Amino acid sequence: MGKYIVKRLVLMIPTLLGVAVLIFFLMRVVPGDLVELRFAGESAFAQKENLDTERARLGLDQPLWKQFLVWIAGVVRLDFGKSMWTGAPIIEEIKLRFALSLQLAIMATIIAVLLAIPLGVLAALKQDTWVDYTVRIVSIAGLATPSFWLGIVFILGLLIVFKWLPPMVYTPFWINPWQNMLQLIWPALAVGYRYSAVATRMTRSAMLEVLREDYIRTARAKGLWEQLILSRHALKNAMLPVLTVIALEFAFLMGGLVVTEQVFNLNGLGLLFVEAVAHRDYTLTQALVMLVAFVFIFVNFLVDLAYAWLDPRIRFR
Amino acid sequence: MRRCLGPLVTLFAVLWLPAAPPAAAQGMPRYGGELIFAVPSEMPSYDGHRESTFALIHPMAPHYNTLLRIDPMDRSGSKVVGDLAESWTVGKDGRTYTFRLRRGVKFHDGAEFTSRDAKATYDKIVFPPSGVASERKGSYVNIEAVETPDPYTIVFRLKFPSASFLSSVASPWNWIYKADILEKDIRWYETNVMGTGPFVFVEHVKGSHWVGKKNPNYWDKGKPYLDGYRALFIKDSAAQVAAIRGERAHIQFRGFSPAERDSLVAALGARIAVQESPWDCVLLATMNHEKKPFDDKRVRRALTLALDRYQGSQALSKIAIVKAVAGVQVPGTPFATPPAELEKLAGYWPDINKSRAEARRLLKEAGVPEGFAFTFKNRGVPMPYEPLGVWLIDQWRQVGLNVRQEVAETAKWFADLRGGDFEVAMDAQCGYMVEPDLDLYKFQSGPTSAAPRGISDANYARQKDSVLDELYVKQSRAIDPEERKKYVREFEKRLLDEEVHSMYTLQWHRIVPHSARVKGWTVTPSHYLNNQLDTVWLTE
Repeated sequence: MGKYIVKRLVLMIPTLLGVAVLIFFLMRVVPGDLVELRFAGESAFAQKENLDTERARLGLDQPLWKQFLVWIAGVVRLDFGKSMWTGAPIIEEIKLRFALSLQLAIMATIIAVLLAIPLGVLAALKQDTWVDYTVRIVSIAGLATPSFWLGIVFILGLLIVFKWLPPMVYTPFWINPWQNMLQLIWPALAVGYRYSAVATRMTRSAMLEVLREDYIRTARAKGLWEQLILSRHALKNAMLPVLTVIALEFAFLMGGLVVTEQVFNLNGLGLLFVEAVAHRDYTLTQALVMLVAFVFIFVNFLVDLAYAWLDPRIRFR
Repeated sequence: MRRCLGPLVTLFAVLWLPAAPPAAAQGMPRYGGELIFAVPSEMPSYDGHRESTFALIHPMAPHYNTLLRIDPMDRSGSKVVGDLAESWTVGKDGRTYTFRLRRGVKFHDGAEFTSRDAKATYDKIVFPPSGVASERKGSYVNIEAVETPDPYTIVFRLKFPSASFLSSVASPWNWIYKADILEKDIRWYETNVMGTGPFVFVEHVKGSHWVGKKNPNYWDKGKPYLDGYRALFIKDSAAQVAAIRGERAHIQFRGFSPAERDSLVAALGARIAVQESPWDCVLLATMNHEKKPFDDKRVRRALTLALDRYQGSQALSKIAIVKAVAGVQVPGTPFATPPAELEKLAGYWPDINKSRAEARRLLKEAGVPEGFAFTFKNRGVPMPYEPLGVWLIDQWRQVGLNVRQEVAETAKWFADLRGGDFEVAMDAQCGYMVEPDLDLYKFQSGPTSAAPRGISDANYARQKDSVLDELYVKQSRAIDPEERKKYVREFEKRLLDEEVHSMYTLQWHRIVPHSARVKGWTVTPSHYLNNQLDTVWLTE
């Protein structure tokens, strides 16, 4: 097992390096640059002298290979440099938003899991009954409803019915849990519902498949207690694909909630990402892509470890 | 009937009376309270001399003073009054400006403000050291020297008389910095705040908010009225509207669309006040003189003649932030063209049928066939680029042109404008104050004294027109307002009618719905002005 973990960890390095090369050069291919955007402001006007000065200051007048080497040398030392747009250290820019995005992702995941697993199992057990149909309708509605739209409905509902709007400034949970929850519970519900719909459908189909397996029939023939069959034999095996879906969704939430963050005015990684790209903030975009890539790779790594725990055959391979 | 519409529309825009009374007529100010406002964007750095976004001015202007400022009660946004300079004189040659500075002004760290600070500030703006960007350096090319004969006097010596010099000194960007700090580190202000303004910096949480609190030692005794303010960075316009509607914010100073205004008024009734003004921003359709057939002024003239601006104003003002039919100056401001004169310019004629018949004739004469196709490059920003783009294409189709729209994301659009990779493109002009020198600069082809390198950095039409350049210089140096007005008119006629180097669409229209509790603030044609907040107060 130890060897397996080390091997997987080592394999992360070439993947991340590939991502680094790709994002660095892709950003340079996209037309327009941050210096022009910055000095143009709202008018389409910028003085060439200022553009040249700023490009030189940011090192953008250097050959590409040189810029890449400087950047990659920093990445190796875990120093992502400074944002080219704000001049602030990138670690500082990301740290601020990371806490909110992580908390939101965890809250949405908890909501999704709490809804999806029981509903998916229930739908599978009560296949083709009104219970199953209801669960399917609820989950298909969740798939068809974008979370940002649900967010808008929440906001309008709160405004019209209660004449109240969630707080617009993030308060960390450890400073004021109540204020924190007042702000984040609504986006977590909006995101968690769509997330749960995906997981519910997956849980239901995986359970249906497992319930038809020979070993379940054998367990039942042996006279095992039904609850034990479901929890130990059926659910545990059905969880393999569900876990993958949940993990990938979780990783997506760490940088992909752009519109939901806009709707609720959340200071998260998604908005930061979009702004960095829109501003052509090369260094910040590169760092964020690396972060998201790392989160995806790491979450997948954890899923693989969980697979090994859920299915002992994987460990032997 | 059509003949009446033009003047009426413009007159309506000029005389539009806001629901909120002028700031001066809003009763006795009340002390206390925290003003909360939404800011739709966030500043890159903290240095006003370097940046060009309102996102810097809105949260940060309250920390600073300038030598002069635009009167916060003046709706035209053009009346210059003293800020840290309490009086000034102009030499007989029109080239020497002497400012007497206020005594007893303190920086937020307790240090006294003197002419040394003012000089260090202007040296940074006008004569920045190598490697330091100064965004508006080009507006001060006429400054020869800055002198400080004593601690409370600063003298500017100009190379030539300038009609706009006082306005330039009232620029909302020219925050007075501390000389000692600039001497040690000229970049210090990019990441720090230290001014003499009515509010002291408290905190900035990136992506979230900016907080300022009342300066108890402010030199203007009795001000400010507020205990403090909080700027919330809210990028999404729907979220900004929700913030005002849910009373999480009192105001958003840049402006809302007509639909957003209507929804707020419907939801909040008497709890919302609305102030509106023609806005010193305009979108232009710029024709690339280096691409055929737009090198032919008959074609360019036909394109502007095709536009029914009066009808467009009526239709578009219901859905977009545009309204007044205007020339090169904002209606209602000192150098604006009266509607009767405007009607004489190509594209502003009251009879659209006559106008379009002339457009078709010109196209035929220039050898442009019926159904001629070209690409119009637009910026991928919904408001007001999208509706204006659709309107332009429809107007040109009505004279037999077949226009394809290419929408480019901001960075690409800007790169294409600068690189000349377009036939006809949407161009933008947005001033931080209404001043012909600023508004007309972009059309110079040079080389002139004002654009010594030759072509202006923003002359995207790429025209070469020495007559226009000379007119720019003449209006810029005409100290007598009437004489200057005459040159501005001549400039306008040449730019929009005779040569049609570019065409103005419709003047933007600034709509600021805000909590009725907010008093002491007056809308101006520029969203860069009037953000010091020293006159603002909140009712119970």
